Parts: sequence; C-alpha cells; structure tokens
Amino acid sequence: MESLADTLWDVVICGTGLQQSLLALALSRSDKKVLHIDPNDFYGGAEAAFSLQEVESWVEKVETGKEGLFRAASVEKLEGDTGLSFPRAYSLALAPQLIHARSALLSQLVSSRAYRQVEFLAVGSFSIFKPSPDPSQHSALVRIPSTREDVFSTTAISAKAKRGLMKFLKFVLDYESNPQTDTWHPHADAPLTEFLLKEFKMDKELQTYIITLTLSLDGKINTRDGLAVIRRHLSSMGMYGPGFAALYPKWGGLSEIAQVSCRAGAVGGAVYMLGTGVKTMNDQENPVVIELTSGDTIKTRKVVRASENATDNTGINRLVAIVGSPLKSLFDSTVEGAPTPAVAIVAFPAGSLSTAAGEASQSPVYLSVHSSDTGECPANQSVLYFTTVSEPGSQELLRRALDSFLAAVAGDTVPQCLYKLEYQQRQCSARSQASGSIFGFAPPTSSLAFDDSTLQSVHDAWKMVLDDESVEEDYLTFADREGAMDDDEIYD
Amino acid sequence: MADSGAPKPSSSVKLVLLGEAAVGKSSLVLRFVNNDFQENKEPTIGAAFLTQKCNLPTRTIKFEIWDTAGQERFASLAPMYYRNAQAALVVYDLTKPTSLIKAKHWVAELQRQASPGIVIALVGNKLDLTNDAAGGDGEGAGGDGEGDARKVTTEEAKSYAEEEGLLFFETSAKTGYNVTEVFTAIANAIPETSLKTARGPGASSAAARTEEQRVNLNGPRDPNAKEGCAC
Repeated sequence: MESLADTLWDVVICGTGLQQSLLALALSRSDKKVLHIDPNDFYGGAEAAFSLQEVESWVEKVETGKEGLFRAASVEKLEGDTGLSFPRAYSLALAPQLIHARSALLSQLVSSRAYRQVEFLAVGSFSIFKPSPDPSQHSALVRIPSTREDVFSTTAISAKAKRGLMKFLKFVLDYESNPQTDTWHPHADAPLTEFLLKEFKMDKELQTYIITLTLSLDGKINTRDGLAVIRRHLSSMGMYGPGFAALYPKWGGLSEIAQVSCRAGAVGGAVYMLGTGVKTMNDQENPVVIELTSGDTIKTRKVVRASENATDNTGINRLVAIVGSPLKSLFDSTVEGAPTPAVAIVAFPAGSLSTAAGEASQSPVYLSVHSSDTGECPANQSVLYFTTVSEPGSQELLRRALDSFLAAVAGDTVPQCLYKLEYQQRQCSARSQASGSIFGFAPPTSSLAFDDSTLQSVHDAWKMVLDDESVEEDYLTFADREGAMDDDEIYD
Repeated sequence: MADSGAPKPSSSVKLVLLGEAAVGKSSLVLRFVNNDFQENKEPTIGAAFLTQKCNLPTRTIKFEIWDTAGQERFASLAPMYYRNAQAALVVYDLTKPTSLIKAKHWVAELQRQASPGIVIALVGNKLDLTNDAAGGDGEGAGGDGEGDARKVTTEEAKSYAEEEGLLFFETSAKTGYNVTEVFTAIANAIPETSLKTARGPGASSAAARTEEQRVNLNGPRDPNAKEGCAC
C-alpha cells in the first residue's frame, strides 16, 4: 500500500465539520486524491454529537482553550443513582439545528444519494412559554398556529387576531410579488415587529408568535429577512408529509450528516485520519508541503480548512439538559397521517423570564426538546437544548428557563433534571474565502435552523479544488452505487 | 421453492465488516454476494454496501453488508458505522497473528459500543494458504507442517470465540470454503425479537420502532413501507 508521503494529494481537507464533510461528499466521485484529516478523534467538529464520556473530554479541552469557538463549558450531574443510563446511551448534539423541508441541504443529500444512510425525523409543534401572572398558578405552553388550518381551529387567540394572522400568512406566501412588495419595501430594514404592528395591527402576543417562527436569536430580525424566513417555514409545511415543516437527522443532527458524508468520501477513495492535524504548512511552495502531527510529511496541490480564528465576542449560551421523562404531551402529532414528531420547539419570549435580581430577559430563549426517538437518549428520557444570546445573566436565565419549563409541563410530579451541560459558543464574522491554494471555511453560525448560505462556500471550495474540471450540473448529483439499491425496489 | 404460497417473513439485517486491513473482508463478501474472487484485489474502495438474501426454512434474512471503505486503516471508522448493526463479521488472517489481536480489539469495541444483542462472528480467513484441506471436509487441527503459512491455531481462536460467545469459522474467500456457512449461521443466530418486523419494548435499540417516525425524502417509493408485501 502506498504511503502517505509517496502520494501527491490533490487536496487535503482539514476538519470534519459539516462543510468540510459535504465537500468530501461532493468530491467523492471525482477521481481526485483526497486526504481528509481531523485533529479531533471524532467526526463533526463544531457540529459533533457526543456520548457523556466524550462530553467530559470535550469540556476539558474547551477549558484549556483548545476549542477556539467554545468556552465556559461545564457539566453537572445529579448525585447518586438518578436513572442516568450508561454514557454511550446518549448522543448530545453541539449543533441541534432543524432543517427546513425546503432547504437545499436536503435536495443535495437526495441528489447525491447520501440521504439513504440518514434517518430523518419530523419537527413538530412550535410553542410559546406564557408565564402565569399569578405565581401560585402554573405557567403554560401555548402552541403557535402556523398553518391556516391551525389558525381556524385554535382557541388560543381571538377572532379578530385570527383574521389578522390569516391576512399575514396569505401575504407572506406571495410577498415578493406586487403589490405586496409596496407594502413591505419601505420597512425592509426596520424590525419585523414594527412592520407587523404598522401594517397588520398585530398586538404584542401575535408579534411574538411570528418572531418565534423566525427563530431569530435576538428577536430583532428585520422585515426583509423575517419575511423570507417565515415564507420558508410556510412553504416547507407538508412538503415531506402532513403537519411538519422541518426535519431533524436521528442520532445527533448535523453530526450524522457529517459522518455519512465522510463515509461517502471514503467509499470514493478518500483516505481518513482522525486524531491528526496540521503541524506546519509551507504554502509558498507548489505543491504545498504539510507536516502532520502524526509525523508524516505530505505534499498537496490544495488545502481546505477552517478559517484562521477571527472571532468576535458576541455569541450564544447553551444549556443541554437530560430529563427523566418522555414529555409525551409535546410530541403529539396534530394532523392525521403525520409521523410522530421527535423534536418540539418552545420559545420563552423576551421579558418572560427574570433573574433572581429581578432583571427581565432582554432576548428570547429557545428550547428544542428531543424525544428518545432521536436516539440521543434512552427511552423515557428527553434531551432539552436551550439557547439564548450571550449577555450578562444569560446562564442564569437559561437555568430559569429550564426550571420554568419543567414546572409548566409537570403533571403529578416535576420531571427531574439528571444532567446538565453548559457552554458558550462564539459567533464569527469571518467569511469563507480562497487565497492561493488554500480555502478557509468560516466557522459555523449559531442559528437554530440550518442556513443554506453554508452550502455556498462548500460549492466555492469544490470549484476551487476541481478548477477547470468542474461541471456545474454534476455538483452533488450522483447515481446510486452498485448494491445500494434495494433489489425489491427493482422488481416491484 | 415456496412451500405453501404464503410468503415467508423477510427482514433486513445490518451487518458490518471489521478487521485489520488486507485480511480479506471485502473478498469474503464478494464471494458471498457474487460468488467471485479477485486475486491481488486493490484495497477497498467503491462499495457503500452490498445486499444479499439468505433463505432460511422459516424466514428470509436480507443482509445489508457495510464495508469499511478502508476507514479502518487509520482507526477512523465513525460511530454510525457500527451503531445499530445487528450483526458483525470480525475477520482476521490466520497467517498473521497480529490480525487476531486486532480482531479482539474490535470485539471489545463492539461489546462496548454496539447494540446489546449484536451477533458477532469471528472469522479466520485465508485457509487456502494452510495445509488444511480447504474446500475439503474438516477443520483440520492447526499444524505447523511444511509450506503451511498458518500462524494462528484453530484451538486458540476457537477457545477465545467460545469465551466471548462468538460464532467461529475458518474460511477461504479464494476457494469459497465455509463462506456461505458463516452467513447462514449468523442469519440463524439473529434473535427473532431484534428483527425489524418485531415491535414493542426491548426492540427499540435495534432499529425496530423507527418506521413510524421516519420521514421519507423520496416520495411514496419508500422501501421500508413495503416490508411484508407479497412478492
């Protein structure tokens, strides 16, 4: 077998985050010699999913500053025998993003045939946390009506509000045509909430419903972006089945897509090395000379990696909690024939939570609840992912959100929190770009729904690697490999 | 050969291949699936997975066989590779003792990582390089005779397999000796309860309950929706 040093590689891809992995998938039928390495001993980079054991070593690494994007990570376990299962029974996702049915990621996974190895689950209801004005009463979760059928049948809002909501939903579906554009263009850069108030006379509560559907982290999304996101949501509804607009890959979200893409790369002949990074790189030479941390020195025409850290300080706080209850009421399917959802979204609007010092929350807190169907925890437990913009007091507010949520869903007993992981993730303004033989991917965004702009830089990197050999129509469009087709499918 | 006209129940089983590079993992599968053997085969690329049916008297098992795609070379197999597998074929080269050590590592890894109840078969390949009558009729006692390349005795591997509760075979992908037997033995050892047609508690870790939740991205042509249809 050839040694690493004897090969002139066409490209060395460093890191197995989603973008690098999708690039490996895109190159998997290209005859290019691909060496795909990752300094981590796991796949997925900032989109990885971890067993509890792996969480521990990751937290240690974050604490030593070796995970540039992340900081302030800590784990808290309930003492004693709490019903927490063995560490490998869990798979906690660093990037539990939901994927809208209209996302180009899904169509690319289908056209590249990689989707056959991923199990997709439905994302169910979106709800709002409504604090009770009377502290002796339970707070409530109110489901957001997000289709016309929902709006008709809901009892949560008045008839007048229903008319306003209906009018808005109709408007959004065709918001890019005339005369709708005349209505929103003057407000394009103003906050969506303002537009909803001025043009649709929506009260605060209805505004909150709409903002929640945008999943805007700070709640201040502008009208242009907001309308685009709402339209994506509405037009995704029903695309792959009744009653849901978004999907989630089983076993840890985007991590699974990264692994499947890397496997496709390997099947296409790429060489994979985990636990191996770049020690030194000389890109003044052509080909580029790289010394790997494994001690090998290799030569390659191109290099694709994560951009040099250009982090700024804004970002998000996360709290991941494992609770000892299946939280069944959150996973009802409301529409006949709909698959049982495995994920439910809950928003805690700005102002609905407060710190012990009485400071009200300035930004929304979002919660993604995952049932054991996601494969992220054993049966009869659930995983809760809380996210909010990093601000002073964010960590405390996330803990408040956790307590408030558990109290709001409590039946006879309040579900117990068995395990907590907390961390901060920085957001970066760096852009993906090529310079000479090197392509750098911007760090992933911290948005809650998959952002298709991520895919553009994968496409750019692919063009850079293939150079004049790239054929646009062939991008991520492959036939099934021999044997992958079910023979029943052929004969039926 | 249908005996009564009623179709036998049919189930899919994910089977993963594991073992050191160059022990003949892909060759075993190619022998089983295509009844073919290629001398001096290139290291594996190109196979995502292969499928092959195994007909048992009371049911049909359809193996979905996952090849490592060479990712074992630098210890870079992803968890998704062996997670949820209901069967594993751990292969060593019986002319190469280090490959048995590697095989034992894989067995330990599967016992930690994979679904409880996974059926593991330990297979010593390249029996044709020994003096045993490969293609003949016996598991000859491992010898050290002239021209015999065997370095791992049958007894050593077999007693290890017994201790760990593994199925055990010595095979030759080249002659085809014992290859079908391995897969038939695995098919027979798969417990009825871990098959996809099974429902209910206990089966959840073995991909049995997923059908109701799974969203199909490929329109109504869902291969999983047709389980149990008449053919």
